[in-house]
Amino acid sequence: MPDLIHRPALTKEPLVGERIRLAPMPEGTLLEVRGPQAELPALEAAADAAGLVIRTNGPDQWFAISGQPMLRLDLPDIFSVTDQSHGRVRIAMEGAAVDDVLAKGMAVDLFDFKIGAATTALIGHITTHIARLDRDRFELTVLRSFAESLWHDLETMSAEFLDR
Amino acid sequence: MTSYRLNQGGLVDRATTLDFTFDGRSFTGHAGDTLASALLANGQRLVGRSFKYHRPRGILTAGAAEPNALMTIGSGGRTEPNTRATMQELYAGLEAVSQNRWPSLDRDVGALNSLLSPFLGAGFYYKTFMWPAAFWEKLYEPFIRKAAGLGRATYEADPDAYEKVWAHCDLLVVGSGPAGLSSALTAGRAGLRVILADEHHALGGSLLSETAVIDGVSAPEFSARCVEELRSLPNVRLLPRTTVLGWFDSNVFGALERVQKHVAVPAANRPVERFWRIAAKHAILATGAEERPLVFGGNDTPGVMTATAMRSYLNRFGVAPGKKVAIFTTNNSGYALGSDLESAGVALTAIIDSRADGPAYSGQARIIRNAVVTDAFGGKSLTSIRIKHDGRFETMDVDALGMSGGFSPVIHLALHRGGKAQWSDERAAFLAPDDLKGIALAGSVTGAGNIAESVAQGSTQAAGLASMMGKSAAAMSASVEGEMENRPSRPLWFIPDVIGKAFVDFQNDVHRADLKLAAQEGYGHVELAKRYTTNGMATDQGKLSNVNAIGLLAQARGLSPAEVGTTTFRPFYTPVSFGALSGASKGKHFQPVRKSPLHDWAAKHGAVFVDTGLWYRSAWFPREGETAWRESVDREVLNVRSNAGLCDVSMLGKIEITGRDATTFVDRVYANGFAKLPVGKARYGLMLREDGMIYDDGTTSRLGENRYYMTTTTAYAAPVMSHLEFCAQALWPELDVRLASVTDQWAQMAIAGPKARTILQGIVDEDISEAAFGFLAAREVSLFGGKLTGMLFRISFSGELAYEIAVPAGYGESVADALMALGEPHGICAYGVEALGVMRVEKGFITHSEINGTVTPADVGLGKMVSRTKQDFIGKQMLSREGLSHPSRLRLAGVMPLDPAHTFKGGAHILSKGAEATLENDQGYVTSYAWSPTLQSPIALALIVNGPDRHGEEVVVWNGLLNEFTPARICDPVFFDPANEKLHA
Repeated sequence: MPDLIHRPALTKEPLVGERIRLAPMPEGTLLEVRGPQAELPALEAAADAAGLVIRTNGPDQWFAISGQPMLRLDLPDIFSVTDQSHGRVRIAMEGAAVDDVLAKGMAVDLFDFKIGAATTALIGHITTHIARLDRDRFELTVLRSFAESLWHDLETMSAEFLDR
Repeated sequence: MTSYRLNQGGLVDRATTLDFTFDGRSFTGHAGDTLASALLANGQRLVGRSFKYHRPRGILTAGAAEPNALMTIGSGGRTEPNTRATMQELYAGLEAVSQNRWPSLDRDVGALNSLLSPFLGAGFYYKTFMWPAAFWEKLYEPFIRKAAGLGRATYEADPDAYEKVWAHCDLLVVGSGPAGLSSALTAGRAGLRVILADEHHALGGSLLSETAVIDGVSAPEFSARCVEELRSLPNVRLLPRTTVLGWFDSNVFGALERVQKHVAVPAANRPVERFWRIAAKHAILATGAEERPLVFGGNDTPGVMTATAMRSYLNRFGVAPGKKVAIFTTNNSGYALGSDLESAGVALTAIIDSRADGPAYSGQARIIRNAVVTDAFGGKSLTSIRIKHDGRFETMDVDALGMSGGFSPVIHLALHRGGKAQWSDERAAFLAPDDLKGIALAGSVTGAGNIAESVAQGSTQAAGLASMMGKSAAAMSASVEGEMENRPSRPLWFIPDVIGKAFVDFQNDVHRADLKLAAQEGYGHVELAKRYTTNGMATDQGKLSNVNAIGLLAQARGLSPAEVGTTTFRPFYTPVSFGALSGASKGKHFQPVRKSPLHDWAAKHGAVFVDTGLWYRSAWFPREGETAWRESVDREVLNVRSNAGLCDVSMLGKIEITGRDATTFVDRVYANGFAKLPVGKARYGLMLREDGMIYDDGTTSRLGENRYYMTTTTAYAAPVMSHLEFCAQALWPELDVRLASVTDQWAQMAIAGPKARTILQGIVDEDISEAAFGFLAAREVSLFGGKLTGMLFRISFSGELAYEIAVPAGYGESVADALMALGEPHGICAYGVEALGVMRVEKGFITHSEINGTVTPADVGLGKMVSRTKQDFIGKQMLSREGLSHPSRLRLAGVMPLDPAHTFKGGAHILSKGAEATLENDQGYVTSYAWSPTLQSPIALALIVNGPDRHGEEVVVWNGLLNEFTPARICDPVFFDPANEKLHA
């Protein structure tokens, strides 16, 4: 029986500048959850118990995320859960210049984008889910097939803040 | 050679000397100079030749409206023609070259055009190049093309980077003169998010050229203090070197920042230009006013420039325009210049004022009222002017002339969304309309007068906006001393007794006789006059000329400027490079790339990739010794038909449909029935548009009671997803349905061929024999002894015994490797989308080549699939239109050449045998064409009138582009294994 190897979509070394850092995140668990907004507390409780964190992904839609692979989320039937752990790739972007770098690709006004907020937007031509994890830290989630292109775009956008 | 640098004065850094060249000659300037001020400081007044008559031209302005001083800057891929020397910052090593002259600026052969000028007036082309018609393509057009254009673009690739960026603010202030600074400061102090943009490299606008004292300090010092405070505010972003170019919907402004246009070698990690899209809650235009030239003979002679430009060179750059200067004015601004010139020790011969009254003047210069300059002389450099006053003419020797025909507010941005400029008799200017939303105006752009008024206006506007946003702002005022009171000018459109050519539009060489001619010949409407004379065209878009042209047209037609009106103001305010508009999207990165999870697997097997939308698909897998693509494709097809092959189909669209009403939903979006599809089965589905035409096709599998896995074509993955979302949200919101695109989650591969089952059984834990996993079986399967779960589908696009297996994308390459290793003893090969295409044509399967938006299910032989029992599905009603079952419709059939050595092409048309090649005789067209290695003949699918009833008929395939006629025969579209025996092998 051959060895089964999970090949990450992005095999990139992190990019490190004084004011910007860019790194692929581990391809762990990413579940797409759909259900009634009113039941969010139940979802959050279940996710918490399963070791997953919830990111909003539009009306009645969420991602349940962890760096650990193969986590399961058992929810009542009113929710639909679709495994997208291999279908989405996450990239961490942080540093003092992160707002300025993202503004090169994205029309979202980050001034009003609070910690914990998440939305789907275009970065250049690529649809990306962005979540603000901290003042200067974002998580970008992108379709696997676009991951290399997005990485290239982010690298280009970061260039002036990278010491090269 | 009469302009020169004064020994003192100006804001340039005299301690820093910069070397540059102009037409190969070396010059020096100072930091803070523009190319124009540095040329003037070196006595270089002749800077270019005019477009049509090749007249010697000098620097006319000190800003963005410059029509004459257009130069080519840089070399190699960085060559940039039509750079305005008045906007170009000087840097060490700058190389500038003049344009529109040969062999040199000083001796230009094209100047002979001036001798032909009686024949080259407005409408010359229209009247001359009319007949004979045959001359147009061969002679006239090449001639006109050669003569047209300003400057030459380089053919070399631009080595530099460009980028686009978004910004958001409460207030965008355009222009950093007195009104702009006070707006930005008032709003900034109140805590608004402010962006202040100015097209020049130094902030301060007109204050940098002003000698008045503001709040006890010099005007430049006042502006520096304002800028310093603005810089200290974290909520204010300053954008010097940034031209706000357009006002667009939703109060978004476009702006171009010249990030590295002022350095010899740009840093590689930064862009040279940055295109800003600024979403502003409000904007204040503090864009100032443009001084109009006066239209007298020889007004284009080098040495003649606008009075404010002359004042700017004098006060800001410490450059005197000449040794003996005169000023021709229609308003008070000429007196401010006169006083500054005399203070700087420059000899001022006279101020010639067209008005009877003017302000008191305490200088030495002679003041001549009720007077006009009729002509300027000197050719390449001004030597004298001819004045008319008190009914007589007087010639005056001067080497520089400042002129002021009044001021036109720079209202362009305010009109970009369709507003019309309003003529004000009181201000003698076109003003912005009153009903602007989202933007306000402050300063001389309103037609208003002096510095104190501008400061107050800017501050009041900003304070009003701040309080509207719930912030309190303190109003700002300034006390100003030593400023010339600036009353509006009395318009002076037409100057009598002119001898020489009096230019209205310097860039297009439109002189006033051209406008008169346009009016005479019936092209007096302002929009027609523009096209007839070219007034207001080219890179400056009539910034200096339009209002004068309107005045002259008004006079010629006996109307007021209000009745003549303006031409349409459109973005962009100044030219924008293609580089800035494309940003980082260029070359290989013009658009994003989508890579399959099996991309690297295909690459290591030597795949040749083809762009399919954004995807890179493996097209074929050449092996050693194969020289032509078809050798590889033929081998792959034959190998799949005799052994087995593996093909990456990950890029097919995949949509997971769940929810209590998933079955109802799927049943309604497909034309064929899905309600009775058992769990564990796949079915081919036909999706129609509302108009009854086929929209897309694919297989959909029922993986659970309320869980479907739909596949779409690669091209329609996103449109189908949008379509389904629309159906779920807008058409049937009552259905409980959830949709998820899972295209990227799964690596999906087709394993096809007689040995497919044997190979696949090596990784699938359960029994997949014909009995256990028959045709159209579809379910989750355990793989590799329980290590992995995937989905297996018994479907075939090749006509062979075939499966598609989907595994989580990250494991795709490992699984493909395992299948290739297991398949090796069975002769498996990798095959690409070309072989896939050949096999589907051999089987008569349709793709979007056939379902091209004009075909119904019946047209492609799938009429029986359409459900007659379903109450409703998308497309049902419109499909019953009688025209959609008319016998004349094009329907699917096969076509083969009579002689297999003959070929034809997709898109070729079908003619009945012996019929003439005419539109009336057209019987249809070839949709897909392939060489079939199985049949050893070309085969094709075609949409043919009554196709299914004409099998066996001899026809001609006609390629009208190549004029080829190929005898062929209509046949069954299923060329291979029509009984589907191999499918169940």
